[in-house]
Amino acid sequence: MKKFKILSIILGGLFLFTSMSYKTDEGDKLIGVWEPSNKKAKIKIDKISGKYYGKIVWLREPIDPVTKKPKTDKNNPDESLKNVPLKGFRMLKDFVYKGDGEWADGTIYDPQNGSTYNCVIKLRDDNTLDIRGYIGLKTFGRTDVWKRLVMKKKK
Amino acid sequence: MNLKALMFSLFLLPLVTVAQEEEEEDYSMYDDLEYADESSTTFVSPKIIGLSPNRFINVAWDVQSPYTMNASEINDYAPDASWTTNESSNVSYTGGLRLNANIPVVSRNNIVWQMGANYMNTNFSIDEADPSNDPILSELNRHSLSTGGLFTTVFKPINDKQFLIFQGQADYNGNYTFSDFHSLGLTKYSAAVLWGKSPHDRLQWAIGASRTYRVGELNYVPIVMYNWTSKREKWGTEILFPARAHGKYWVNKSSLIMFGYELEGGSYHLSGLSNNGNSFELRRGEVRPRIEWNRKLVGFFWLNAQLGARINYGFAYDELENGKEFFRGFVGDDEIKAFSSLGTSLYGLVGISFVSL
Repeated sequence: MKKFKILSIILGGLFLFTSMSYKTDEGDKLIGVWEPSNKKAKIKIDKISGKYYGKIVWLREPIDPVTKKPKTDKNNPDESLKNVPLKGFRMLKDFVYKGDGEWADGTIYDPQNGSTYNCVIKLRDDNTLDIRGYIGLKTFGRTDVWKRLVMKKKK
Repeated sequence: MNLKALMFSLFLLPLVTVAQEEEEEDYSMYDDLEYADESSTTFVSPKIIGLSPNRFINVAWDVQSPYTMNASEINDYAPDASWTTNESSNVSYTGGLRLNANIPVVSRNNIVWQMGANYMNTNFSIDEADPSNDPILSELNRHSLSTGGLFTTVFKPINDKQFLIFQGQADYNGNYTFSDFHSLGLTKYSAAVLWGKSPHDRLQWAIGASRTYRVGELNYVPIVMYNWTSKREKWGTEILFPARAHGKYWVNKSSLIMFGYELEGGSYHLSGLSNNGNSFELRRGEVRPRIEWNRKLVGFFWLNAQLGARINYGFAYDELENGKEFFRGFVGDDEIKAFSSLGTSLYGLVGISFVSL
């Protein structure tokens, strides 16, 4: 009887999960590899525990011209993080899908100056994002266009 | 499959898989990707690495040490005429409030358009300013000089290296008060246009031309911009010649020292000396060699402190017939109504800004 109850809970949960999958699928359009308009990096966005996170997976110039070593997050205001490699660094954090092609409540980190900004992401089309980083109010911000990247098709 | 195994496969296995991916990800797989549809266009950024903080909102107080101010009699003088002192006094206090707001209207990678407003006030406390004997000094002593301005800046990238900058400004200058405004017809218009290049992330330069009141009277001058940051992102320059030129040194990411100069000035309507519909205008221009310290306070709020000298460049008076502006340039012979000279003084400025880096 006890086993039956637990199984019912699991199956109920699965049913709930399935019924929510439409909204989840919409939000999951953010998942993938994206390139900012300056083409200096590639950012891979994943979903972890219901929120979306993006990390740097590729750098056009991976080597620091001064140290001649792989670039680290040298501008991070936290001393303990200055030696963390930029490749793999999570620069997009905590995005929640709000519906209508918009993810909000997250932050974007700019490794060039060590600043973290509020951020909202809008899906312009399936392969284009408008990413706006801002300070407090959306007025004080800047929008960049990111394009989706995919694995090369085999010919 | 027993119940524990079922729960593990449903809930825990995905988490373990994510954790393994985090640790074992092979980044080389991202070397060779292609666009899902098409590439975005790359546009040059309005900023370079290591540029001083861009001030959205700034509140500051400016103050000068005492100095002597002399003025000639009001008359008609050739621009190069010699003159004798008719009024003279110690100026015990010169200073005032400065407010500046610079708000992005459109800020995208293909265009940045900002609108702004500024207000600047200069109070003079002149020790000996008798209205019957010292008409010029007493007029300056009567009301402070104010500047209220609106400006707009457009940064338009042409491609990934080249850009254009347009700037326009309308300034309402004079010794007006909020209950006694002058004619809006006395508004002064300035503009600048620049074309430039940013060869890499740490350098941008541009050339252009401007219509300006920087040294008091209307002028048309070429401009050169040269913003550069060293490889180590410590040293650099921020130059918009002739308006200002600074060297800079980033002590750390929260502290920036700049050293150089700025030209500051404008043309101010003086109501008490303006008669018959004419505008009696002070053409004020000064050079401010200085050292400047920018320090992060908290978040995006920064302190700005300047210490330097205020060196007089021009402090002469013109009478604009019916308020109509004219262009004398460096060689024109339009008459000057009065001359003044100011002793050099020390100055200090302290401000707080809401910035973007």
